[in-house]
This record gives sequence, C-alpha cells and structure tokens, in this order.
Amino acid sequence: MSERNNGQLLVIHDIKDKILWAIKVRYAIVILSVAIMCFAFYNRLDIGLSLVLVPFVAAYNIAAHIIYRSRKIYYLWQIIILRSVFQVFDVLAITFLVYITGGLESPYWFLYLVLIVISGFGAYSYAAFSVFMIAIFSAIFYLGLLLLTYQGVIPTYGPGFMLSPQELLRSIFNKAVFTTVSFFLFAATIYYFTKLIGEQRQQLSQKNKELLGALSELKDLDRLKDEFISNASHELRTPLSVIRENVSLVSDGIVGSVSEKQRKLLMSSQANVDRLAHILDNMLDISKIESRMLALNRQHADLCEVAAKAIELLGKKAQDKKMSVETRFPGRVVAWFDPDQIMRVFINLLDNAIKFTREGGAVMVGVEVSPREVRGYVRDDGVGIAGEDRARIFDRFIRIDADGMVGRRGAGLGLSICKGIIEMHNGRVWVESDLGKGSRFVFALPRVEVNE
Amino acid sequence: MSKEKGRILLIEDEQDMVEAVRIRLEANGFEVIAASDGPEGLSKARTVMPDLVILDVMLPKMDGFKVCRMLKFDEKFAKIPIIMFTARTQQADIARGKEMGADAYVTKPFKSEELLAKIRELLG
Repeated sequence: MSERNNGQLLVIHDIKDKILWAIKVRYAIVILSVAIMCFAFYNRLDIGLSLVLVPFVAAYNIAAHIIYRSRKIYYLWQIIILRSVFQVFDVLAITFLVYITGGLESPYWFLYLVLIVISGFGAYSYAAFSVFMIAIFSAIFYLGLLLLTYQGVIPTYGPGFMLSPQELLRSIFNKAVFTTVSFFLFAATIYYFTKLIGEQRQQLSQKNKELLGALSELKDLDRLKDEFISNASHELRTPLSVIRENVSLVSDGIVGSVSEKQRKLLMSSQANVDRLAHILDNMLDISKIESRMLALNRQHADLCEVAAKAIELLGKKAQDKKMSVETRFPGRVVAWFDPDQIMRVFINLLDNAIKFTREGGAVMVGVEVSPREVRGYVRDDGVGIAGEDRARIFDRFIRIDADGMVGRRGAGLGLSICKGIIEMHNGRVWVESDLGKGSRFVFALPRVEVNE
Repeated sequence: MSKEKGRILLIEDEQDMVEAVRIRLEANGFEVIAASDGPEGLSKARTVMPDLVILDVMLPKMDGFKVCRMLKFDEKFAKIPIIMFTARTQQADIARGKEMGADAYVTKPFKSEELLAKIRELLG
C-alpha cells in the first residue's frame, strides 16, 4: 500500500515538475508578447485586443503559479484537474488569438494541435484522457467562434469576410470538418502513445520492483546462510572443546592411570578433534571470505618477514619429515597487505608443500619483485599436478589424488582460502607444475610505491 | 592442592566444560570457583575475590564483554587478570575483548597447555 502511495507521490512530483515548466513557458510567452507589443506600439501599429489577451494569459498563469506553490495539493486527482483547468484556459487564449487574427482566416488554429501534443507529453496514463478533453474544447471554442461571428453575435475583428453568406457558410463548414477531424486524429494518436508509454513505464517499474524484491530476498538468504555456517561452527566448537579437554584429562593420567595403548588411542582422538576444529575454522573462513565479511587489516609490511614467520611456525612439521626448507629472500620487500592473512597464505601453501613432498625432500619459499608486482612462492619437489587439475585446484573441496601419497588430510579448503585472501588483496594466485617434477605455487600482490 | 597457586573464577555456562576445566586446573593446584552466568559471576567475584577470572564470551543474561567491562571498571577488581574464553575466532571479537580490558584470549577448542601457560603468565 505504502509503495503504491510512494509511486503516486513520484507521479505527482513529476506532473508538478511539468506544470512548473508550463508556467515558465507561459511567462516567457507573456514577456515576449509584451516585447512585441512595445515594438508594435513604438511603430504605431494597431495593438488592439492583444492588450486584453496578454494580461489574460498572465493572470491565469499567475493564478496557476500561486496554486502550485500553495502546497495544498496532496492527491493525484487534484493535480490532474488543476492541470486540465489551466489547459482549458490555454484553449481559450488560443481561441482569443485566433479571433483577433482574423477568425476563419487566422492561421493560428494550428496552435490547438500544438496544445494537444503538449498535453499528451507528461500526461501519465492516468491523465491521457486530457488530450481528448483538449480536442473537444478546441473544437467547441473554435467552431463556436466561427458560428458566433457568422451569426453576428460578436463583431468580426480584423479583415472582414469578402465572401457571400453562402460561400462563407460552406467555408465555415469545410473548416469545421477539417479542424475537428484533425483535432481528434491528433488526440487519438497522442492518446495511444501516452497510454502505451505509460503502460510500458508501469510494467518496467513493476519488473524493477520484482527484481529488487528478489535481490533483497537473495541477500537475506545469503546472510542467513553465512549466519548459519558461522553459528553452526560456533555451536560445534563448544562440544568439541569439551571432548578435547576430557580426552586430554584422561590421556594425561590426571583422572587415573592409563596404559600406553589406551594413551595412544586417546592421543589419536585428540588429534582428530584438532583436525575437525581446523576444518571448521576453514569453513568459517571460506564463508567469511565469500560474503566479503573478512575485514583486511592492510599495512605496509615486509613480505619476507611474513614468510619467515610462517616457516618458523611450520619448521617442526618439516623437521618431522626430515625435509629442508630453503629460502630466497631479496632483502626487504614492502607491500600493502594484511600480514596475518598473507601469513596464512604462506602457511597453507607451505603446509601443502610439506604434506605432498616425500620424506627427506626439499621445499623452497621465496619472494620476488617485478616492476608491477611483488610475488611470494612456495616450491616443492613433490609429485606435481597434471595440467587439467591445475585450474581446479583452487576450487572448494577439490583434492587431487596422486599416486604414492598417503596420509594426506584436509577438506580441500586451504587453497580456496588462499585464493580468496589474495583476490581480496586485488592479487592473483596460480600454480606452475610438471607432473613428477614438483610444483610452484605463486601469488602476486600489486606493488605500491613506498617512501621510506 | 589447596589455594597455594591461586583462586580462579570460571564463568562459563556449559556445565561439561566447567567440569573439564575444573579438573584440569585443580590438578594443577588451582582453586576453582564456577559461575554459570554473568550476574552470578559478578556476585561471586565480590564474595571470593579471585586471583584470576576465566570468562566465556557467550553467556546467558549478560555477555562476557559486559561482565569484563564491569569488572575492569570497578577499582576493586580492575587488577584481576581476565582471560576471555570463547568459541569465536573473529579478529573483531578479539579486538573487542582487548578493548574491554581482557588480558588474554583463548579460543575453543583450546589446548590445555595453552590455557595453563596463559594463567601462569598472568599470575606471574
């Protein structure tokens, strides 16, 4: 209901705008006429009845202006009636002009047609009937003028009729048929187009409304989905932490002695709880990244320093697999990024590299600078990735199966999180790889000028 | 195992969690007093004057941030270290906890060594 009112309010504003334009145009005509009259008066030409016409137009225009500014117009019907009344005054003014320029002889009857066209403009389909009203009034006033002057009720003005009464009547009849038909043809044409445009406009706004509705519904759904994932992961965390703590209480021997075999099983439970928590974390992160809820805390930071921290954190894991981690850092490489998030990218990439490289292998972490970008990369000499898999590997839940790799774990979210984080930094991430020769995961961040 | 190491007020609504943490902390020589919601936690803080407070963020009646702020606002309790204890990992939450005056933050599921290390650090 309120939306409908809102729509009507817009229509009222639009029609009011157009009425204001009409008022301005009438003022312009009045001023122009006064100028012409002054010119005529100065040249001793006969001004005659235009002395009456111009004040008449000025008067009802001022009245229109006052009513327009009174702000007492609340309803559409009020404004449409107002508009129609002043258009009837326009018809009257044109009739007057036709009278003082010779009645039957006057060429100004085309102004009726102009008025019909103008009244069609900006008349919404609500007011489309007004073109017919103008046509009817035009016909009545014009024919009335001709007949009244023919009957001698009002005096002929301007050049007199040089025709015999018989010829005059025929001439009036011809003119009457011609003008009436043309008025109504014009009115019908304008009416048709006004209606058509109005309907199209309504359909369009209806469609817009539907689309906007669908969009907000989708946004709500998306928000609900994110909330759900976020809540679910929080809700899952509390029981997980109870399980983890209880298991570790038992395995630590705090509530009674446990055998080595029991302890081993409990440790495995604990490790799996950790794994589950890690997957939950990743799912939560993915949902945050996708809904753009992850707030970046960007600053000027050294990419090498961040990479070194990541290596430090995963050092033990690499040692456990007797792997060496080489580094290629070209000194300080400052870029504009969120150090925590980029560190996670390094950690994820390095973690993968360690996971996918056989025991005793080598992993390299490096940073490069190109004219436009700074790049970080992690290279392993693992199994490599086949061409068709390279594009999919950053997708969610994708895990590439390779022969000879056992004990790999994960939900396939790590790389898509990396991709999300890098893309939020306006960077890009890709993989270079040959099957059997290892792979190199590279990410690039836009370079920024740093004044240091 | 009395109170030679310190008295800890644990404000947490999940009873199983309270038990697990209680056993762990008592095994390490701390005295544990539990409260299951915000107002109860505040009144227990007044009566027992704990050496440290472990505070869950998602609590019934009054959330952990509010409890934290009320404790830190009160001169009597302002010096008691607070560990915020929650399932949330959002940076914003951690930042908010710090803003409210929390001294440390432990996310669930936590490693008990981590919690104990933070407690020892805060109790000096």
